[in-house]
Amino acid sequence: MTDRIADVWGARTPYRAGSGWPRRVDQHVEDGVPEAEVRWFPSACVLCSNGCGMDIAVHQGRMVGVRGRATDRVNHGRLGPKGLFGWQANNSADRLVEPLVRRNGRLERASWEEAMQLVVERSRRVLAEQGPLGMAFYTSGQLFLEDYYTLSLVARGGIGTPHLDGNTRLCTSTAEFALAETFGSDGAPGSLTDIDQCDTLFMIGHNMAETHTVLWARVLDRLQGGDRPRLVVVDPRPTTAAREADVHLAIRNGTNAALLNGIQHELIVQDRVDHAFVEEHTVGFETLRRQVREYPPERVAEICGVRAEDVVEAARILGSGQRLVSTCLQGVYQSHQATASACQVNNINLLRGMIGRPGCTVFQMNGQPTAQNTRETGANGSFPGMRNWQNPEHVEELARIWNVDPLQLSSWAPPTHAMQILRYAEQGSVRFLWVIGTNPAVSLPELPRIRSILAQERLFVVVSDAFLTETTQLADVVLPVALWGEKTGTYTNHDRTVHLSEKAVDPPGRARSDMEILLDYAQRLGLTDRDGAPLVAWRSPEECFDAFKEMTRGRPCDYSGLSYRRLRGAGGIQWPVTDERPSGTERLYADHEFNTRTDRCQDYGHDLGTGAAYERKDRAELGPDGRAILKAVRYVPPHEAPDEDHPFLLTTGRNVYHWHTRTKTGRAPQLEAAAPDVWVELSVPDAARLGIAEGDLVLVASSRGALQAKARLSGIREGVVFVPMHYGSCSEGDESEPAGHARAANELTITDWDPVSKQPVLKVAAVRIERLADGGAAPAPAPTTAAPGPRGEAVPSTSGGPGARATVEDET
Amino acid sequence: MKLDRALEDTVQAEAELATRLRVVADRHAVEHDLHHLGHSLARQCGEHLERLAPFADRYGASVGADGVDDSPGVVERIRRKGAQLVGRSEGAGMLLLRDLRDLYLAAHEAELSWLILGLAAHAVRDRELLEVTADCREQVEVRGRWVRTRIKEVAPQVLATSS
Ligand code: SF4
Repeated sequence: MTDRIADVWGARTPYRAGSGWPRRVDQHVEDGVPEAEVRWFPSACVLCSNGCGMDIAVHQGRMVGVRGRATDRVNHGRLGPKGLFGWQANNSADRLVEPLVRRNGRLERASWEEAMQLVVERSRRVLAEQGPLGMAFYTSGQLFLEDYYTLSLVARGGIGTPHLDGNTRLCTSTAEFALAETFGSDGAPGSLTDIDQCDTLFMIGHNMAETHTVLWARVLDRLQGGDRPRLVVVDPRPTTAAREADVHLAIRNGTNAALLNGIQHELIVQDRVDHAFVEEHTVGFETLRRQVREYPPERVAEICGVRAEDVVEAARILGSGQRLVSTCLQGVYQSHQATASACQVNNINLLRGMIGRPGCTVFQMNGQPTAQNTRETGANGSFPGMRNWQNPEHVEELARIWNVDPLQLSSWAPPTHAMQILRYAEQGSVRFLWVIGTNPAVSLPELPRIRSILAQERLFVVVSDAFLTETTQLADVVLPVALWGEKTGTYTNHDRTVHLSEKAVDPPGRARSDMEILLDYAQRLGLTDRDGAPLVAWRSPEECFDAFKEMTRGRPCDYSGLSYRRLRGAGGIQWPVTDERPSGTERLYADHEFNTRTDRCQDYGHDLGTGAAYERKDRAELGPDGRAILKAVRYVPPHEAPDEDHPFLLTTGRNVYHWHTRTKTGRAPQLEAAAPDVWVELSVPDAARLGIAEGDLVLVASSRGALQAKARLSGIREGVVFVPMHYGSCSEGDESEPAGHARAANELTITDWDPVSKQPVLKVAAVRIERLADGGAAPAPAPTTAAPGPRGEAVPSTSGGPGARATVEDET
Repeated sequence: MKLDRALEDTVQAEAELATRLRVVADRHAVEHDLHHLGHSLARQCGEHLERLAPFADRYGASVGADGVDDSPGVVERIRRKGAQLVGRSEGAGMLLLRDLRDLYLAAHEAELSWLILGLAAHAVRDRELLEVTADCREQVEVRGRWVRTRIKEVAPQVLATSS
């Protein structure tokens, strides 16, 4: 038995390149449940985009635990703390079990009939008064493919609004856009097995040890396996990965583009470029070479606040390996020049000719478990099936599949992004907003503004959720939904691995699955196809999946060879899966033919500086014809820089024990106890200057808002402070009463987004710090594990106690 | 040789565009992307003018580079405040669409001036000036493209809904 709160990654099972990752089954089942009476239901974890295969333990109709699936290609049996303990949220006593409607300003219980009537009546009224552009839908990254696809058909095909987006816009839309810019379409080129083969790892803005614990366990096992891959880490914080790195570049946040240009400059100067590959399989090298020439190591050192030698050394490591895996995540996506920088990471692998081969790839990582599916189904910035909104043939094909008039599809502009939807609601043209499974009143930037938008009288807000949240407080109708484990469906992780998750228990009370609710809505609204038949032809998740897979036939994310039957017991299958490739595809682009052709590509690309969309003729003129596109970009300083009033650079981020706004992990006692409240990380020298000691209460204020938090003195870069993004204004378990003071990181953030991916900039803002009160020698409520690890003073180590033990079974 | 005219035209068009960008950025400050990008593109106009400055002497053009300094003056601050007030009013959308149309035309006016200047530089074999026009070409072209993209998003929403 291991305490998996204290020992986040579990015991090591080292292995060498090519020898395969040993299995180890991690399990956590409630004490006192008789093992023999437990029934196991195959599923996969939905608490991050690694999507570890797991079985759900059920005893007497109740969820009682989980165990990793030894045969699953993603995790080989392992689970991390969130996976082991997070499932308990399903059983919490405060689940929503009945619909609520607002009567005389208060949310009160109602029947489904009454609630749905209200939703439909209001939809009709808005449609009559405002037309389809008055209707908007904002979904999550945690539903199932079947929920999203139903939503996509209802919103895009049925209602005909372009205003459908997911909160995946906040987390991984940069992955989608960066992949489409460089390779022509979304979809991870490589496979998690590339970690098993690589000899060099490049992690930028990816706190893997905390966001994807099981993947980090895989990397750690390689690092200790005897033929240690070399590791370069870019992060302003001393993350666990940074401590393992050969070179750690603790750059000033907001300067990724300059650093990446500098590294490419060095690759070219040191002549580490695979010229034959670049010549044959890419376009844009000349422009790129001219651009990066302006970024010699000394200039980069100056901009990024690192040593020039370290930039040179990092480039030497990246340039001398034979098998390079690069990964990036929020440190790039939610920072300044997001898509532009993510494309530079793609460039590095292309310059080295390291893609489409074992051990050679770039991961534009996802965050949320089912983010990949919002993108594939058309609920996040693209048309369904990775179709190009500017390509009339793609639009017509989709209309044919849905049997709707092509005019019904809003193909005049890209699908509207979340921040723009909110803007339309603010300005009054959007009057109906359905929020599904997400909590924008905590997760969007500049909260006071978001709250005032959602609170408007003229805006009708429907919220589907399993719990009361800060957002349900502002809703007119609240619909109780079934969670993972309470419905059947599929989802896809960040290396294109598709899992089927079986329904293990019934949802509580009168909660329903999102797909069911949408089917009911479509029927009540009388949505039909062009022949007058019901628009949504499916009744069950399996029927929906079958319709979806046909819709993807021939597209990059081709699911046509998959079925629920094939997925059962398969241990995860990677798309594309076709009749020719029935067992899936480990790596895309093995033939170095990319999806950039004019008629095939998902997008014609953008100017990375302004987001100006290129059109068909521009793509034809560029003529990549199946070659990858090297995009060049100039570094420009962030829109908000520290000044006299706000001298610190703020960055926000995640912690290993929590997920999103803690709706689930805050209800798992082991996880909540490990990181119960917000904190702010400060460097030791900065704290000394301000007279702040570990645990003191401090004010963090930007020009937009402020929060109070206890100080953690850590090894973070001087001049930078970090606030975790998980904590909202509600204290868990009592959403009706806001906690005593503001503690959401987004009280501070700027309203600004990447011009291409439209992902909000949550990792660069200027703040000031003020000491408010003495902490009385009690440390900050921050964990001691991973990046928030304390410096200087003795702080008791985070541990989980008896309730946090997991059994471990080594199979090798 | 009338290169002074071509230079003056270009300088004037860039200055005019910078002014309009800043007006749009401040008047529509609640459209946050317009606000940030408007100001950075206006700054870029200033950089373009700096690159043209040495040629003014060469061809005897009179090019006061006014209208490109980027410290927010009183007027901008008032506009920005005004933006927050009109941000929720019904007419904001129409006003935005009209401003974007004007901005699009100003961007094209500037693009055309650069094109003409480049042609003239070639004709008089002024390699340095030609280089400047070539260097700036992409930046000069992208501005119109950007406004066009933005118009595509905005126009249907403004025109097809009732506010
Ligand atoms: S790594 Fe991610 S998917 Fe795997 S157990 Fe942890 S939270 Fe779940």
